[in-house]
Amino acid sequence: MITKYLAILRMKYVEMFAYQLSTMVWMFGTMVQPLITMMVWMNIYPDQGESFVLYFVALIMVERLTSAWDVWEMDRQIREGTFSYQIVRPFHPIHWAIAENIVYKGLFLVVLVPCWIILALFIPSLRLHLSVTGWGLFLAALLLGAVIRFAMSFLFGILCFWMNKVTAIYAMFETVSLFLSGQIAPFSLLPPVVKQISTFFPYRYMIGFPLEILTGTANSHTLMIGFIGSFIWAVVLIVIISLLWNAGLKKNQAVGG
Amino acid sequence: MTIQVQDLNKSFRVHVRQEGWTEALRSLFKREYQTVQAVKDVSFTINTGEIVGFLGPNGAGKTTTMKMLAGLLHPTSGTIEVDGFKPQEQKNEFKKIMSLVMGQKSQLIWDIPPMETFLVNKSVYEIDDHSFRQTLDELVELLELQPLLGRPVRNMSLGQRMKCELACSLLHRPSVLFLDEPTIGLDVNTQEKVRQFIANYNREHKTTILLTSHYMGDVTALCDRVMIINHGKLLYDGELQVLSEKLTPYKLLEVRLPSSTRGPWESYGEVVTFEDGKLTLRVARDRVPLVSSELLANYEINDLNIQDPPMEEVITLAFQEESHDH
Repeated sequence: MITKYLAILRMKYVEMFAYQLSTMVWMFGTMVQPLITMMVWMNIYPDQGESFVLYFVALIMVERLTSAWDVWEMDRQIREGTFSYQIVRPFHPIHWAIAENIVYKGLFLVVLVPCWIILALFIPSLRLHLSVTGWGLFLAALLLGAVIRFAMSFLFGILCFWMNKVTAIYAMFETVSLFLSGQIAPFSLLPPVVKQISTFFPYRYMIGFPLEILTGTANSHTLMIGFIGSFIWAVVLIVIISLLWNAGLKKNQAVGG
Repeated sequence: MTIQVQDLNKSFRVHVRQEGWTEALRSLFKREYQTVQAVKDVSFTINTGEIVGFLGPNGAGKTTTMKMLAGLLHPTSGTIEVDGFKPQEQKNEFKKIMSLVMGQKSQLIWDIPPMETFLVNKSVYEIDDHSFRQTLDELVELLELQPLLGRPVRNMSLGQRMKCELACSLLHRPSVLFLDEPTIGLDVNTQEKVRQFIANYNREHKTTILLTSHYMGDVTALCDRVMIINHGKLLYDGELQVLSEKLTPYKLLEVRLPSSTRGPWESYGEVVTFEDGKLTLRVARDRVPLVSSELLANYEINDLNIQDPPMEEVITLAFQEESHDH
């Protein structure tokens, strides 16, 4: 199992550097939207500028480290029929996807953390004052967030066995996510009703919750609710994936000559 | 017996839509479906080490059958057994003894050299270092892959890529090999090389091979036995030679004679062509010896050649026979 993972990690690593430019665009291009949103908020509340800088820089970081793209890949591969080669090989396709996630997120981490450190030298509000426990909680929440986002994306990917172009539905899911995961506005600025609702959806646990820990705005109540919510969503999604996978294979049309 | 298929059926539900703007809009709200039966009551067995050619026009059900054998598709009804496994259960033990090559799809990773995919397969199929080396060396030599190993797959020609695909799918030494149009799009020369490779590989390793192809050359060069399928039904299963004798009970006599020679050629057989001293006659199989000796005795003949009708013709006739049944 480990040797299989290592081999795929290696291959994904080599592949990643074959697409140098797109990997870079992928890493930095997605920063544009949060940076613009940040400027809008700084314009509305000029006196809170510093906290917005911290929030949105942390957002870029957390968003990249939990990002999931598997549905796009699966949609293409299932529609074009190349997914068949993953099915006939004796290693579950989900492991290929997980390995790919590890490699890309590893790269994001290696590039983005030094960027943050350099920025923090010039921008005092970016200097973090987290305790060791705080860091531990953040990493746990980040990992759960990444698992939930990945699982969601993979789950939509499995739906490609039934439907064409699942990505359209996924894009809608992502749009709702912009609001409920805290990507458009910090949670403290959302109306109370939205905050209430967001507790029951997976969105908040994907990005907003780890972000709250990192920026030091999570109290013990938020922490408890957050971890219970994240954990339940992670388990539920993994169970659904394992049930849906076999049904999907039965439905598979293995298209294309 | 390696492959055993009994009363195999597969039907798909396909969304049908009329053309036109309003119809397209209507299909958004009300979808109509049609059931297409791609494979109908197909049964056959293939013995260990056999190479069987699977023939049929586009959409006949060849690929669907092959995908069911490889476990990619679940049969609607009927049973399949490959080396004791039920393919649709997708057990890892099964996946390790078989391989599927689709001429139109690549399993090699597009933007990096093929060696990377080989290494992934080495781990995924749990091939030990020694046998990996040995197999790879053998494949590299047979398929002349050395100069290709370090080149990104996207920079290869179709023929080069196909050779790498074959190597990739053979690294774990499968005992059953499904080849779906392995020579499609290749030039004649490369086709010939791939054929030779498959023939040698089968001889040396006793691999059971099921092959689909549109090129008759693949089938005549590799397979003694063919299965012909059309509209999902198995029409013929047996020796190629027997099929040819049954459907084309004649041979072609190619005669070269001085261009001034005239004769009552129709009395010997059906004249296919006659120009510039080249005569082609279609003669019933049992009359061939008599006709040839008469021609040789009565005319000044430069050359005489007796040929089986081209396989394309045989197969076309096989498909036509079936349509008459409808």
